[in-house]
Amino acid sequence: MSAAAAPVAAAPPRNDLLGWITSTDHKRIGILYLTTSLGYFFVAGLLAVVIRTQLAHPNATVVSAHTYAQLFTLHGTAMIFLFVAPFALGLANFLIPLQIGAPDMAFPRLNALSYWMFLFGGLVIFAGAATNEGAAAAGWTSYVPLATIKISTGLGQDLWIVGVFLVSVATILTSINFITTVFIYRAPGMTMWRIPIFTWEMIATSLLVFMAFPALAADLLLLFVDRHLGGHAFDPAHGGNAILWQHLFWFFGHPEVYVMILPYFGVVSEIIPVFSRKPIFGYTGLVISAFAIAGLSMGVWAHHMFTTGAVNNPFFSFVSFLIAVPTGVKFFNWIATMWRGSISFQTPMLFSIGFLMNFLLGGITGVMVASPPIDFQAQDSYFIVAHMHYVLGGGSLFAIFAALFFWWPKMFGVKLHEGLGKWCFWLLFVGFNVTFFPMHLLGLDGMPRRVFTYANQGQLPELNMIATLGSYVMLAGVLVFCWNVVVSTIKREPVGADPWRANSLEWWTTSPPPEHNFDTLPPIRSERPVFDAHYPEVAARTPR
Amino acid sequence: MHGQTWPAAATTQSSVLASDWVLFALAGLAVALLVWGLILFAIVRWRRPKRDGDDAFPPQFRNNNPLEIAWTVIPLILVIGLFVYTYRAEANVEALVPKPDVTVAVNAYRWGWTFAYDGGPTINGAAQKPPEMVIPLGETTRIVLTSSDVNHAFWVPDFLFKRDAIPGRTSSFDLRPSKPGTFLGHCAEFCGLDHALMNFSVRVVPPDEYARWRRGGSS
Repeated sequence: MSAAAAPVAAAPPRNDLLGWITSTDHKRIGILYLTTSLGYFFVAGLLAVVIRTQLAHPNATVVSAHTYAQLFTLHGTAMIFLFVAPFALGLANFLIPLQIGAPDMAFPRLNALSYWMFLFGGLVIFAGAATNEGAAAAGWTSYVPLATIKISTGLGQDLWIVGVFLVSVATILTSINFITTVFIYRAPGMTMWRIPIFTWEMIATSLLVFMAFPALAADLLLLFVDRHLGGHAFDPAHGGNAILWQHLFWFFGHPEVYVMILPYFGVVSEIIPVFSRKPIFGYTGLVISAFAIAGLSMGVWAHHMFTTGAVNNPFFSFVSFLIAVPTGVKFFNWIATMWRGSISFQTPMLFSIGFLMNFLLGGITGVMVASPPIDFQAQDSYFIVAHMHYVLGGGSLFAIFAALFFWWPKMFGVKLHEGLGKWCFWLLFVGFNVTFFPMHLLGLDGMPRRVFTYANQGQLPELNMIATLGSYVMLAGVLVFCWNVVVSTIKREPVGADPWRANSLEWWTTSPPPEHNFDTLPPIRSERPVFDAHYPEVAARTPR
Repeated sequence: MHGQTWPAAATTQSSVLASDWVLFALAGLAVALLVWGLILFAIVRWRRPKRDGDDAFPPQFRNNNPLEIAWTVIPLILVIGLFVYTYRAEANVEALVPKPDVTVAVNAYRWGWTFAYDGGPTINGAAQKPPEMVIPLGETTRIVLTSSDVNHAFWVPDFLFKRDAIPGRTSSFDLRPSKPGTFLGHCAEFCGLDHALMNFSVRVVPPDEYARWRRGGSS
């Protein structure tokens, strides 16, 4: 513990390229993670705009069937493996040591290794686009036998396997780093029941990574062995089993959904109290529900396989339904935090409210498709596309923007422009719903997912056109964000340590924090030590 | 189904599926309206008044165990109820009759379908010329589904049902059509280049017309 409290005087860190490449400082690695994952987000987003342009009209020929398959494979792979999950790792890298009052992560070099494996893993996946037969084109789920060497002959599929493997190993290493850091590097007074909710959610996330990602790594290895070393794990003609891929993939894949959402539950749990001017309502309830969700999510994987006819549907259906209960606990606690508060609507709060509104619909359609008879119709249709985008786009993506606007001042010492931030929010909120709400109807109207074309029938052309126009509005929202970054960086209006009157320890130190994070620490007597120190009379009236 | 978005049943099984949709859609809508309502009420009712300075704080209340128990137990009862309903509906949909009137072995391949009727005929068709399956109205047709290359899925949106076709496995389900007509079907599991064109149709005709078709088709 003394290691955390006694910073060592050191030469100021180099601020050039070499300084960033060689850095083991958790804040720099965090910022590298965040910018890299945002870079992958922009690429994956542009791919989505091309996808929507192809689908704007029936029988369109903007791209070929083969290009289209690569587009949606790379879009899904990048959004999931290279953006939504690693953005959370970046945020946690930056925040966890600051939130628990530590000078760095437990294993700084391992941390740097994780980042570089993540960066190059992503580049390896995209490098497939430069090969003769193009990038991987079997979807982000890469089902076998489609992804076997007989059918997917190209090098792109191998690069996909190697790239995703690198990213998954990096994620496992980072999860070990997070857990170790929180368990042994907390500042004096920072008991487990005083660590911020975001850090709690990252513990649950890390445990999930630790249990789920090895199954993915094993699945990828088996596929590689089948493709190149004469294995037959997935080959029914030689005693293998094609469904084995799906079991291992979803044993990873469903916990992965919560790896992509629990950190963002943490983000809004940090932001809502600050802009409601109240403590979080049920701290214990939020922590317990995080672990309930994590635990249950290990037992629902085969709800992705209801239509195979090869799994025990009622069991996986029931456990999937149960996840709605702890998720509901979170919602009610967020609402109770706002209840009788004093709510202001700066950009981080707007995005958090947007998260609540959108994610709720994703959660409700999630309960619907957890019912096998409904899933028999919805599975692999645009209804599922709508559902998962409400969870990961309307949910996680909105929380990501909330996090960017909230912690930007801490990372860079300047606030993002509020007016442009509000434009960004409204463009994304309207654009998102215009894009994805019609997809529920497309699915019910019989449109399968992953099709490069569709017939001119019924409402398909109109609904697809609406969705495409919505995606252009979202693109405008993202461009406004980029413009905001440029404007705010040029104007450079410095902010103090605590521009939002916030709660947790990262708001005690300077913005941006020094390399060793803290020169002093306030007394830690609750989960909001900075608030307690700044407003002792209000803190004295606050129940623990 | 094309041209309408509320599920309508075209088989006996799908009327069960449709009622499951309706129940869940209504329950979901009720929960959504309640929670959206609470959020909107809170942010309108307790928005910070302009006159309040930055250092004004509302009462700092928190923690309420009876409330936490209530919003855990009530949703728990709700989802258990939904599960019981869904369990019965699924058993109903997946039940196989002991002796189906017609049996069709369906093989999916990249990118077409083979419909092999028990006792003939066999119909085959691919992307540019989708095959048509003819089945009798009001009688039970057993589909025995497999694939000879990669994973596919047999989906007729009007039947509100799909099943995966997986190499090395066969999977059976029954269809008992309750509406005559021609219904479009798609492959629903991505299977490569021409997945989007791997369509078929199912024509439901009265039993006597089916018998005539069967004689004509097999002769």
